[in-house]
Amino acid sequence: MGNMITVTVNGKEHSGGVEGRTLLVDYLREHLGLTGTHIGCDTSSCGACTIHMDGKAVKSCTVLAVQADGSEVTTVEGLANNGSLHPIQEGFKEEHGLQCGFCTPGMMMTATDLLKNNPNPTEDEIRHALEGNFCRCTGYHNIVKSIQYAAKKMQSPA
Amino acid sequence: MIVEGTHTFHVSAEQLWNYLMDPEVLAKITPGVSQLELVGEDQYKTVSKIKIGPVKGAFTGKLHVIDKDQPHSFAIQMEQLSKIGNAHARVDMAIKTIDAQNASLEFNGKANLSGLIARTGQRVLSGVANVIIKEVFSSLEEHIEEQNIT
Amino acid sequence: MTNYIGKSVKRVEDKRFITGQGKYTDDIKLNGMMYGYFVRSPYAHAIVKSINIDRASKMPGVNKILVGADIPEAIAGVPCGWQVDFKNGDTMKEPPHPLLVRKKVRHVGDGVAFVVAETRAQAKDAADEVDVDYEILDAVTCPKKATEEGAAQVHEDAPGNLCFDWELGNPKDEVAAAMAAAAHVTELDFSNQRVVPNAIEPRSAIGHYDTAYDKYTLYTSTQNPHLIRLLMCAFVLGIPEHKVRVIGPDVGGGFGSKIFHYAEEALVTWASKELGCPIKWTADRSESFLTDAHGRDHVSNAKMGFDSEGKIVALQAYTYANLGAYLSTFAPAVPTYLHGTLMQGLYTTPKINVDVKAAFTHTCAVDAYRGAGRPEATYLLERLIDLAALEMDMDPAELRFKNFIPAFDGVEQEGYTTQVALQYDSGNYDPVLKRALEMVGYEEFRKEQAAQSNGKLLGIGFSTYIEACGIAPSAVVGALGARAGLFEVAQVRVQPTGKVSVFTGAHSHGQGHETTFAQIVADRMGIGIDDVEIIHGDSDSVAFGMGTYGSRSLAVGGSAIVNSIDKVLEKGAKIAAHLLEASADDLEYAEGKWTVKGTDKSVSFGDVSLTAYVPHNYPEGLEPGLDFNAFYDPANFTYPFGAHVAIVEVDKETGEVKLKRFIAVDDVGNVINPMIVDGQIHGGLAQGIGQAMHEGTVYDETGQLINGSYMDYCMPRADDLPSFEIDRTVTPCPHNPLGVKGAGEAGCIGSTPAVVNAVIDALWKGGFKVKDVPMPMTPERVWTAMNN
Repeated sequence: MGNMITVTVNGKEHSGGVEGRTLLVDYLREHLGLTGTHIGCDTSSCGACTIHMDGKAVKSCTVLAVQADGSEVTTVEGLANNGSLHPIQEGFKEEHGLQCGFCTPGMMMTATDLLKNNPNPTEDEIRHALEGNFCRCTGYHNIVKSIQYAAKKMQSPA
Repeated sequence: MIVEGTHTFHVSAEQLWNYLMDPEVLAKITPGVSQLELVGEDQYKTVSKIKIGPVKGAFTGKLHVIDKDQPHSFAIQMEQLSKIGNAHARVDMAIKTIDAQNASLEFNGKANLSGLIARTGQRVLSGVANVIIKEVFSSLEEHIEEQNIT
Repeated sequence: MTNYIGKSVKRVEDKRFITGQGKYTDDIKLNGMMYGYFVRSPYAHAIVKSINIDRASKMPGVNKILVGADIPEAIAGVPCGWQVDFKNGDTMKEPPHPLLVRKKVRHVGDGVAFVVAETRAQAKDAADEVDVDYEILDAVTCPKKATEEGAAQVHEDAPGNLCFDWELGNPKDEVAAAMAAAAHVTELDFSNQRVVPNAIEPRSAIGHYDTAYDKYTLYTSTQNPHLIRLLMCAFVLGIPEHKVRVIGPDVGGGFGSKIFHYAEEALVTWASKELGCPIKWTADRSESFLTDAHGRDHVSNAKMGFDSEGKIVALQAYTYANLGAYLSTFAPAVPTYLHGTLMQGLYTTPKINVDVKAAFTHTCAVDAYRGAGRPEATYLLERLIDLAALEMDMDPAELRFKNFIPAFDGVEQEGYTTQVALQYDSGNYDPVLKRALEMVGYEEFRKEQAAQSNGKLLGIGFSTYIEACGIAPSAVVGALGARAGLFEVAQVRVQPTGKVSVFTGAHSHGQGHETTFAQIVADRMGIGIDDVEIIHGDSDSVAFGMGTYGSRSLAVGGSAIVNSIDKVLEKGAKIAAHLLEASADDLEYAEGKWTVKGTDKSVSFGDVSLTAYVPHNYPEGLEPGLDFNAFYDPANFTYPFGAHVAIVEVDKETGEVKLKRFIAVDDVGNVINPMIVDGQIHGGLAQGIGQAMHEGTVYDETGQLINGSYMDYCMPRADDLPSFEIDRTVTPCPHNPLGVKGAGEAGCIGSTPAVVNAVIDALWKGGFKVKDVPMPMTPERVWTAMNN
């Protein structure tokens, strides 16, 4: 466990040793027990492991844990704020944007990144932004609607 | 995976044969092989380095030169095993005399890949191999030209 | 009475998933757990000459390396759950499927060794160091070629690689005579290519043996925990069923591929006792591609004959079905009883014969994948009828109206008996197609199509399908070769305080059972939905169950819940009658209370529940408690149907196909939760469209799966699909208490041929009389079809 790293995950600082080859996703799941971030492939294609690192959506299977040293990481577990759901979480529930739930954390992390940069995306822009996230259950139809729901909600905060 | 092609060299068939029997040259014209080490008559240990997308690895394997019919034809039989997959290949080489100063080399081979390397990116490998071979023959041609001049 | 049924109640299960608290098998960590990794064959067909584990055993963290020879002879291979016999009555060929190969590998990915180490990375490292010496043999991957003379043999005891041959329907000579008299015959040779289910959660299993209780627990990503327990205990490991608990926790999608009992499940269970520690195995995506049972893979020739009016007079289908290297759990049923039996479609075809040869090949096993057999049957029928319309210069919708079976409700009018062994429950087929045409704006579309002149070809494709689901009556499936019953089990346990725990043998892995079932319970019992909890997926808490597949959860599992509720209310009425000093016959139950008819005397459900558990003032001779289970065995399959329409635009220069619109009108019987049903349809559509346009395995001639990764296998993505336009009609199922038919597979069954038909229509109308474009319809294939 040669490399000491310090990573702030969902606002909490974690320090520990990792192997040089440990992927960030494995660090989150195995070392920190944050199993909300999922692994769906081994070619960085499916997006199930998408998280935010220093405010940007990244696939945590393409980042080594050591590369995250000193970074701020947000995972699905950190989306809700003091028990109240993030608008994207609300959108997925209201619009039935999930079925089995496995791709959902990655989808939501990608979507929040999209909405940060493009608060009012068109359907085409949403579909394009989701290109790197696979869902096998929903046919994406309700995921698009969930993101539209969140976009609307975030623009007119209650 | 199939590799095939023809290249013409400005040397006689006999001279071309001699070039090709030189391990260094043989290493150069065999797709994916970067080094040959003689271990017995017509038998070599090979080292290959391959990188396709996320698939990257060094192969070590065996290469036999077989069915030698000097200076007309021979075949290369290869077996390479690695963590990312294995390759079994046979490439038939035919040398045809065009005239006293020119000969052509026709190659025709098939590689069976297995393991990770077979299911990730194999679709593009054949095209890549053919391109590499063409480049290799061009440089072999240059090499021959240089030898002829000196 | 109906506060919940028919409403789009938001899903109760969502909260844990959107907050990252779902618990999938790979999320579970047990004390002292070790990790397993498989050494798998890189060759499709080879003799294992030797396995050397010396170097690997010395790698850091390695606990044990198991090879085939380590597994006791007493442990049998993975069994098959369905038997189909040869035409001549001989039993199908059923070669052994060992947990780890001993002598011969038969497909790329066959398990050769299992490395157990302290971490997954260590197990993987050590697996790389296991030396296996193989003698490579020739392989065969195509089901048709496999049956030809000289083909490489997969199993010594299955000559010609034939598992069985099978036939259904009218005698061939009768069909041939009708075909000969036909005014027009449409014939097509085509394949229904192999696809990979690709649940986004890779399969995972944890075996745990508890010495204190002499009990095994298997956590596994499965669609049916009880069936896994039954198969594993009775047929593989020979351990007593009551000493095994199987838990299917949250499961990240199945689509069929997680129905089956896999070797990995039995291996981690058995090894956990041998090695004295819990063992987890989770597949890489790469392993999923090689070992999750695949779907489809039929090679067919079919003919459809018409009279001069356009009425179908005969259908003859010949199919070669690929079973892969080993028989998976339900594999033999898929190309036969789930395929041949659907050849009637929605049409009155009087003469039908279907002939199937099922072959072993050196490929991954093929079994049920969303729709299982029914998509293949629908593809065959719907491609033929659309092509026939083009050939006969008739309107494809008109041709269908002409041939539809007239409406029947299954109550006043009898069910429709087909030429291929089924009796449809209820059907009304005109309205689905009419509604679809309306949504398309059909006349307008045809005008637009005729006027198109921008280098793009517009096309429209239809598919009107029927499926048989809600499987099914045990006696019927037993007669057809099933080695299990196909009933479902439910237990409704009323707690003393009137809260209700419902245990169901159906398993939810995305379908929303925790919500839909709760809606039924709340409405039937007249209580709030928050007072109901649905429990599933654990063989120790749920009495028994057959699991979730074949769109059966609601029709069969939901009906079992209803029957349990009936028992609860019947007993509740006796208690209520006692408390009200009235006769049970004089009571009525509504809104959570029993009332003496014509009076305001009533007692609440909560009071009755409490009395049942505190039986101080209680009917004489009545047992305390309020807890009932029911085994529901349906009277028939259910038969959802629908009309799907695809509109595509084909680029004449490049062959690129753009799916512009997709319209689906489905009839799945009564609907409990419209939002969830819509979601099921959407997902099915994406998978069906995926097969038409993007997906398909490619095996090379040595048996290598050359697109075994997400870099190479094309999954449908968000920007490949349009928003779907869907609607439905409602024709209730006459034989189950909910009137429901099932919605899980409909989208996937109807959509594939609609998309291909649309491309053929576009090409045909553009002057290219192309009969077929093989799926997936890549630009290259479409272009080639236009330019040949």
